[in-house]
Amino acid sequence: MYIKDLCYISCQTTFDSSFFETDSIDANAIFVSAKEPDYTPYIPKSLLRRMGKGVRMGIGSGMHLLNKHTNISGIILGTANGGLEDCIKFLNQIVDYNEGTLTPTNFVQSTPNAVAANLALMTSNTCYNNTHVNSGLAFESALIDAMLTLNEVEGDILVGSLEEVTQANINIDKLKGWVVDTETRLLHLVNGNTSGSLIGEGAGMFVVSHDKQQALVEVVDIHTVTTEDINSVWKVYESFLKNNTIEEKNVAFILGRNGDEKHNINYNAFEQQFVKGNSIYTYKNLCGEFPTSISFGLWLSVHLLNKKIKKESIYKDVSMDIKQIIIYNQTYNNQHSFLLVKEVL
Amino acid sequence: MKVFVTGFGIISAIGNNVTKNLSSLIENKTGIDKARFFESKFVDDFYFGEVKLSIDQLCELTNHHDLHGFTKTDLFAFIAFEEAIKMANLSQIELSSVDTALISSSTVGGMAETDDLYKDANLLTTGTEHLYSYGSGVHTTRLATQFGILGFSDTINTACSSSANAIMLGAKLIKYGKAKRVIVGGADSISKFTINGFNSLQILSKSKCQPFSNDRDGLNLGEGAGYIVLESSEIVGDKPKYAEILGYGNSNDAFHPTALSEEALGVSLAMDRAINNAKLAPENIDYVNAHGTATGNNDQVELIGLSKIFGTIPNYNSTKSYTGHTLAAAGVIEAIYSILSINSNTLFKSLNCSSPILTDNPPINKNIANTNVNYVLSNSFGFGGNCTSLVISKV
Repeated sequence: MYIKDLCYISCQTTFDSSFFETDSIDANAIFVSAKEPDYTPYIPKSLLRRMGKGVRMGIGSGMHLLNKHTNISGIILGTANGGLEDCIKFLNQIVDYNEGTLTPTNFVQSTPNAVAANLALMTSNTCYNNTHVNSGLAFESALIDAMLTLNEVEGDILVGSLEEVTQANINIDKLKGWVVDTETRLLHLVNGNTSGSLIGEGAGMFVVSHDKQQALVEVVDIHTVTTEDINSVWKVYESFLKNNTIEEKNVAFILGRNGDEKHNINYNAFEQQFVKGNSIYTYKNLCGEFPTSISFGLWLSVHLLNKKIKKESIYKDVSMDIKQIIIYNQTYNNQHSFLLVKEVL
Repeated sequence: MKVFVTGFGIISAIGNNVTKNLSSLIENKTGIDKARFFESKFVDDFYFGEVKLSIDQLCELTNHHDLHGFTKTDLFAFIAFEEAIKMANLSQIELSSVDTALISSSTVGGMAETDDLYKDANLLTTGTEHLYSYGSGVHTTRLATQFGILGFSDTINTACSSSANAIMLGAKLIKYGKAKRVIVGGADSISKFTINGFNSLQILSKSKCQPFSNDRDGLNLGEGAGYIVLESSEIVGDKPKYAEILGYGNSNDAFHPTALSEEALGVSLAMDRAINNAKLAPENIDYVNAHGTATGNNDQVELIGLSKIFGTIPNYNSTKSYTGHTLAAAGVIEAIYSILSINSNTLFKSLNCSSPILTDNPPINKNIANTNVNYVLSNSFGFGGNCTSLVISKV
């Protein structure tokens, strides 16, 4: 499966091309908000007014690509929480008004499939349409779905992710110990050993194709595993290595390090066991931690393989010619994934 | 590569296992009634397809004992999942093989615990027992970790077509060699969140729902779970095979967030794609398990779509007249009923249709026994225009 085009809305200036020419945005916070673009070219104002942030980030980034690519035979998204703000607004109404007469807008937008559905509606696209919500593996599932679906359709597929940060999920994640206790520097996040991480948000969209023409990179393979037993994770990684031809001297790694001491243990173990003097990059010190943030890692890998390097993403640099990238991410210590991306030959 | 059904499990308003569901269908016994276990301001206003067990009784139906923080959705999922893997006689080695996948689905997930979610989201506690339970994917993570499933696992949420899409994706994983065995399904429970959501859209019925009747006035919310074990022809051997997943079709209606288009665009595309994918013609289909929610919009549009595809519609019913609308679980529960029809050679009466919309082509009005059911089309349509149809066949 090849990636032809991509778009990302994050707390960095990723939506336009300025990200690689300007300094990274830093923050001293417990969460970071996305820098949203002007949506007027993508979403009618009457609709935009009623959209929650996650929904409009997803639709804005999706429409940015759908305006350019007309041969789309499928829309497949991944999101752990969908329109969370609408969901919580509706929930609060239920309890605060003791199940009174409520308006449906929040309910309708809170369903996670609302974004893929809206993209289909706005482009009159009656093709394949699916939404994956498997927590920290939602985006990976969407990618796997896209790989399978490309066997059955003529055109390209829009595959993407969206996640929004709201007070409600910060509150819930805080209670779980997933959020840093005190304000933390975003750009220094991966060097920390904190309890919890800095929460972020974002929407990333990719046009994928079985056609090599105009391809930016190839997504070769994806393995995911849900388990609390780390040895089982490494077994899955070994079978992932066996499945693929890895060129030791040309492979770089992108790790989902988020500075959380609970997660550092696994990333340290992965490096010790499997990374033999190769370059390592990170991305959560740019976008923050959220369940579908691996899409930011994929976005970064496309640029890395096309020789665009952001200095803050360098975790360990050795002089090497990068032709392949392995992305390893894990969420909440029980959902792990491995992606192999390589340059187009 | 063929995709066979080697086991299935179910819990719904008409029974806690496959045997009880089948006997209720044969006896035309609906599970729709006033709610007894669920608390909401609306329990007296509407009818529900409630599973008639308390939380404690549900806990006793699963073999798992570490149930801390489990929601009703989790319990339904575990109960149906355990029955399915037992029927398919899966060993722990088979469950934990990397080519065994799990694809579940849910719309409300652990948000069914609406009041606890309110407390946690608004920091009114230091964490309720359901703190880790809210996401739609939590029941899947719990199934995967407790049953040691190390292959691909996923949760789908396309509203009311969720588990039909789970079955479709499971079939695709096998077809393209990405898995040899996939357990597919979904779970949902009645919650304040969904009742208030559907009530705000004014599509809940104050009587027992009447699919495909001129008198229909909305749906009844239901709950439950279903799981199906799919195994590839490569590994299935001489194990009992209860059905084959022969085809699937998915389309977006691209018309409206909560209503289907009058010309039934997505509905007929999904059916057409499923029949083509199965390499069949419409005249091969013996029976349609319709989506049939009993809302004004759905049933009218579905009949338009069915008429477009078939002309005269083959035998059809809506088993939602037994279970209510189980949302994400509807697709898999109805796929299981289709498999039961195939294996019992019986088509079940569609209940409460006193005044059929199509007078000369009404839904099945009494059980049809001793009939050969070779090919079934099962429809599931969701909010957001997400339409999916499956073709299930006799082996």
